[in-house]
Amino acid sequence: MDEDHIASAYDRDLEAVQAMIMKMGGLVEAAILRAAESLEKRDEEEAEAVRRADAAIDELEMRVNEECARTIALRQPAAGDLRTILTVMKIASNLERIGDYAKNMAKRTSVLVQMQPIEGSAGSIRRMAKQVELMLKDVLDAYIQRDPELAEDVRQRDMDVDQMYNALFRNFLTFMMEDPRNITACMHLHFIAKNIERMGDHVTNIAEQVIYLVEGEMPVDDRPKRDRTAFETVGPEA
Amino acid sequence: MDDLRQHLQVAGDEEVKISSRNVQVYYGTTHAIIDVDVDILDKTVTAFIGPSGCGKSTFLRCLNRMNDTIDIARVEGEIRIDGEDIYDPKIDPVQLRAKVGMVFQKPNPFPKSIYDNVAYGPKIHGLATNKAELDEIVERALRRAALWDEVKDRLQTPGTGLSGGQQQRLCIARAVATEPEVLLMDEPASALDPIATAQIEELIDELRQNYSVVIVTHSMQQAARVSQKTAFFHLGYLVEYDDTGTIFTNPKDPRTESYITGRIG
Repeated sequence: MDEDHIASAYDRDLEAVQAMIMKMGGLVEAAILRAAESLEKRDEEEAEAVRRADAAIDELEMRVNEECARTIALRQPAAGDLRTILTVMKIASNLERIGDYAKNMAKRTSVLVQMQPIEGSAGSIRRMAKQVELMLKDVLDAYIQRDPELAEDVRQRDMDVDQMYNALFRNFLTFMMEDPRNITACMHLHFIAKNIERMGDHVTNIAEQVIYLVEGEMPVDDRPKRDRTAFETVGPEA
Repeated sequence: MDDLRQHLQVAGDEEVKISSRNVQVYYGTTHAIIDVDVDILDKTVTAFIGPSGCGKSTFLRCLNRMNDTIDIARVEGEIRIDGEDIYDPKIDPVQLRAKVGMVFQKPNPFPKSIYDNVAYGPKIHGLATNKAELDEIVERALRRAALWDEVKDRLQTPGTGLSGGQQQRLCIARAVATEPEVLLMDEPASALDPIATAQIEELIDELRQNYSVVIVTHSMQQAARVSQKTAFFHLGYLVEYDDTGTIFTNPKDPRTESYITGRIG
């Protein structure tokens, strides 16, 4: 809706809360990249900085929720405005979770730097994190431009993240079977990979919210899933 | 959108009570209502919303031929209630208005006792043969209007002595006393305080059990609260007519969206 409200303060409120979402999105993107970078460079200080920075994301989520509650109480939003408020709240909560996962990556990085590095793992994880960060950037663009096609594109790209996770999962299994001394590091790395895979799911949720915001209905089709690790077994196939 | 509030769902039979086809209204040279086609359901509250001058009250007044009383007004097209053309020359408008009751914005009780206000319609339509029957009709109407308990001990006092909200419920009692099938309400709560408004809204929801209720309101929140169907009028056109839940979450027409989100007055 391009027209302005008769009450211009209502427009300002809606814009302010959406600006907060964009700010949150920027902080979360930075957290993902910095967490992956600190892992690759084995930079404990940077990892610690990522952990500390999560508080600002949590704080913003709270403010978004407060603003939305206030707008609902004072303005009784309807139709597109109502969908804006509902999606803003859900996007904020998804962003907050992604921030938590980045923080958890940083925590595990602090442990991992004390151990022997697992060959090639940090680079793969950084590529996976970069992929999710790009999806997040695009989904936020899709939100601002009210572009359901771009959102759908992001939604489909989550399959790539799932596939990267599958590959890493098998990698880590192999490393652990080869040498039990790798188990601690591989477990942490596996959780990191899983965290990034979950970030992709949250980005997908945001993409679905964008589609709901524009079209008034959630996408109904089942998104193809490529995470098969739930069925994975160790050792020779039965 | 499916309305999960079971009690607010449209009655299962979805029986059409009033159907209008190609309705036009002219005031002199002004074309006030243009090509309105709508099916209004029985045992359902239908809200007409839209900015001032959009034609919603004009269309409401077509449904019991109140526009007949305006010399320069001319109605064309077809309006049927239970399949019967209400503009047919052999229809008596007075009988029609007993079947299609109306409540107005400002409570307008007759300057008579509470009892006489309610008894007036049944008397002139010959619905009671003796005093006991009339007493019964009056009590039943006052109960339906949720006013009986408040006035049963002072039925002979003037209706104009009641509070605004009570007067409006008295007018509703007066309207239901003639056993109508349709109740038209033109801004029935806009002159009332929030508590009296809530009572009227609760009453409208109860009246839905027995009548087809059509309400014109400026309060979109009121339309959202009391109705199952909503029709949005703009510049004489019926722009959109759908389930109230759909109109308020996902309207199809951008004009509806603009109006209910407060972008056009």
